[in-house]
Amino acid sequence: MKYLWQLSKLVKRECKILYKNPIYGFCMVLFPLFALLFFTSLMDDGLPQDMPVGIVDLDNTSTSRSLVRRLDAFQNSAVVASFPSVAEARRAIQENRIYAFLYIPEGTTEKLLSARRPKVSYYYTLTSLTGGSLVMKDLKTIATLGSAGVGQATLRAKGFTDKQIQTFLQPIRIDLHQIANPWGNYNMYLSTVFVPGIMMLFLFLISAYSLGMELKFDRGKEWIHMADGNAVVAILGKFLPQAVVFLALIFSYEYYIYEVLEFPRQGSVWMIVLLAVLEVFSSIGFGIFAFGLMPSLRMSMSVCSLWAMLGFSLAGSAYPLMGMDEPIQALSWLFPLRHYYMLYQMTVFNGYPLIDAWFHLVGLVAFTLLPWFVLRKIKNAMLTYVYIP
Amino acid sequence: MSTSHNRFQWLLDAAYVWRQEMKRVFRDEGVLIFFIIVPLLYPLLYSWVYNNETIREVPVVVIDQSRSALSRQFIRMCDASPDVHVAYYAEDLDDAQSLVSRQVVKGIYLIPKDFATRINRMEQGTVSVYCDMALMLTYKAVFQTAMTVSQQMGAAIQTRLSGNYTHREDVITAQPLAYEDIALFNPQGGYGSSVLPAVLILILQQTLVLGIGLAAGTARERNRYGDLVPIHKCYNSVGRIVLGKSLCYLMVYAVIGAYLTTAVPHLFHFPQLASGGNLLLMMIPYVLACVFFGMTVSCLVRYRENVMLLMVFVSLPLLFLTGVSWPQSAIPPAWQGVSWLFPSTFGARAYIRLNSMGASLSDVLPELRFLWIQAAAYFGAACLVYGHQLRQSHRHAHERLDYLRKKRTVRQQLSRRK
Repeated sequence: MKYLWQLSKLVKRECKILYKNPIYGFCMVLFPLFALLFFTSLMDDGLPQDMPVGIVDLDNTSTSRSLVRRLDAFQNSAVVASFPSVAEARRAIQENRIYAFLYIPEGTTEKLLSARRPKVSYYYTLTSLTGGSLVMKDLKTIATLGSAGVGQATLRAKGFTDKQIQTFLQPIRIDLHQIANPWGNYNMYLSTVFVPGIMMLFLFLISAYSLGMELKFDRGKEWIHMADGNAVVAILGKFLPQAVVFLALIFSYEYYIYEVLEFPRQGSVWMIVLLAVLEVFSSIGFGIFAFGLMPSLRMSMSVCSLWAMLGFSLAGSAYPLMGMDEPIQALSWLFPLRHYYMLYQMTVFNGYPLIDAWFHLVGLVAFTLLPWFVLRKIKNAMLTYVYIP
Repeated sequence: MSTSHNRFQWLLDAAYVWRQEMKRVFRDEGVLIFFIIVPLLYPLLYSWVYNNETIREVPVVVIDQSRSALSRQFIRMCDASPDVHVAYYAEDLDDAQSLVSRQVVKGIYLIPKDFATRINRMEQGTVSVYCDMALMLTYKAVFQTAMTVSQQMGAAIQTRLSGNYTHREDVITAQPLAYEDIALFNPQGGYGSSVLPAVLILILQQTLVLGIGLAAGTARERNRYGDLVPIHKCYNSVGRIVLGKSLCYLMVYAVIGAYLTTAVPHLFHFPQLASGGNLLLMMIPYVLACVFFGMTVSCLVRYRENVMLLMVFVSLPLLFLTGVSWPQSAIPPAWQGVSWLFPSTFGARAYIRLNSMGASLSDVLPELRFLWIQAAAYFGAACLVYGHQLRQSHRHAHERLDYLRKKRTVRQQLSRRK
């Protein structure tokens, strides 16, 4: 009962702090919402559409022009310019005007008709991997279709049926199933990791910041005394209001992506709730631990921001962890975002049983319990340290 | 005589400001972390993370219900490809799915019972490919390998069926129109080679802004009235302050910038096509723009920690706005407009094209022009905000002086009354 009374007083005090300092409002509500809007609106198309592609058509026949028209009709590519030579088209890539170009040499149609196997080429840049590989896919399809068109005409002339022609041109068909994201939509793929990652960054920073501010404005003693010297009560009272605000933020994010933008998910609502709770408490746990290790506002915040930024790479969502060196694969266990991402993709995105992701669940719980090791150090710091700017 | 003397004095004052700022930078460990340690170590760490560039041998599970020579050939060819490794065989889809669920494999190849029968009957055979879409790169590896193998086997089937006489006829039947696939820049499709150049340029801007912000925050907190500009005869005009301070940051970042743009790519064998002169001509406006941008931002924050809360999280959106992760042509116009505010947008674009794509200076002229405009605009902005800070500290000083004078007169009146 005594603890509850202390807790309620601490919670009231913390709410007052959160309300008075506008920086909390910015970091706990405005900035995360900005990140949410940024990523979801940036990739609203799902896949980049109508990326600029050039043409070097030295053949200039109805056949070559129909290839160009078909390329233009593809979803990802738009033919924006035609160049008189390969050198100029390459320069256009270097000037950032196009991502790729299709080169049709002189005499292509003539050779095609006389079965002399002409060769077309396509050039593309992979300095932007997403754009380059999507444009490459379209160009490759066009080149393959060119072959198929000739085969189709020959077979028709020989009197085969359409079904026979299809079988001859493509004896083995690949029946692709893109589980859980059948559109290959990048928004659903990237926003669901980067937005929670940015929220995690703010959870880390605000946890360390709010502890550091107690020291900076010399309120630490008052804070510990309100809890009667009990560090557990003090920490709980301080971080419960923050956790509630962040939980509300994360639930509004989940509502926005699943109900408004209608991202697909296979897992249940309860998995989403569990994941949100784990995300908030593990990140706060990490923030408190970082501050406990080095009770200086500046150092702990630097460590938190560097850790959170590295987490985006080591989560292994854009570039898979299996492609990294073994020591880095082991290091990734130290990043809450890695565990979050694995839990999310296994239980919410793909809807697999939670037991298969037990390791990452344990990981996040472990981060939640980390402050236990530094409770005494934090209390000691609050009672004895003096803030040096 | 007197004008030249004044000019010399002006330079001396600026040099004094520069010396004070240098001292502050190298004595403040918070600033040192962002000016020296992060730019030195972060690129190395990132390069290590991405040094394998691509993923190979993605594990898949095969369900071979056909159990025929053709299906086994398909599996062998997939396994022999560089990108896919057949790690498991499963009896049915449920078995295979539980392997995906346990993250042991990233995809499933299902070859149905009638696969070989249909092909031998001259009907279309089907292979079902199920991909775990949580990772785009593994999805591409699993799907594209199956596509390539099916096309290769298909070509063999076509030539067998068409009853040609010569090898040349076989080739023409399978592919009447030959094509060549040429990746001009970053030909191996490396993830690190595509993302890291932009990251390096971004690290330069972010650490510079964070460092300047922290230094300004410390200066404010050390000052008695919380002012950024101290009352000192050398700090008496905006020009001297801005010149002295920017010179200090410029000197530190001349070294850091050279390390980031030449040493790091050299250490990790990233593409390096730009000549030293071109690189220098691009980096000068970029670093200048970053310095003045950082000085402008540093005046907006009250406490030293706030700059961290503001600047760290924008790093990720800024990386996306450079057009590396998400193609520039697909960025909505509103966000394109926002991206013009930040030097990193144009810096990264110019650097990638010079260094990874071997462009000439005239190819990146628009970006260079934007960088110079930004440098000039942020220089103006820095002068304006520092002018404001200067007036504020003068006002605080005057208020204090008035207060002291009033105090003295009151005291004198009191003593007279006695």
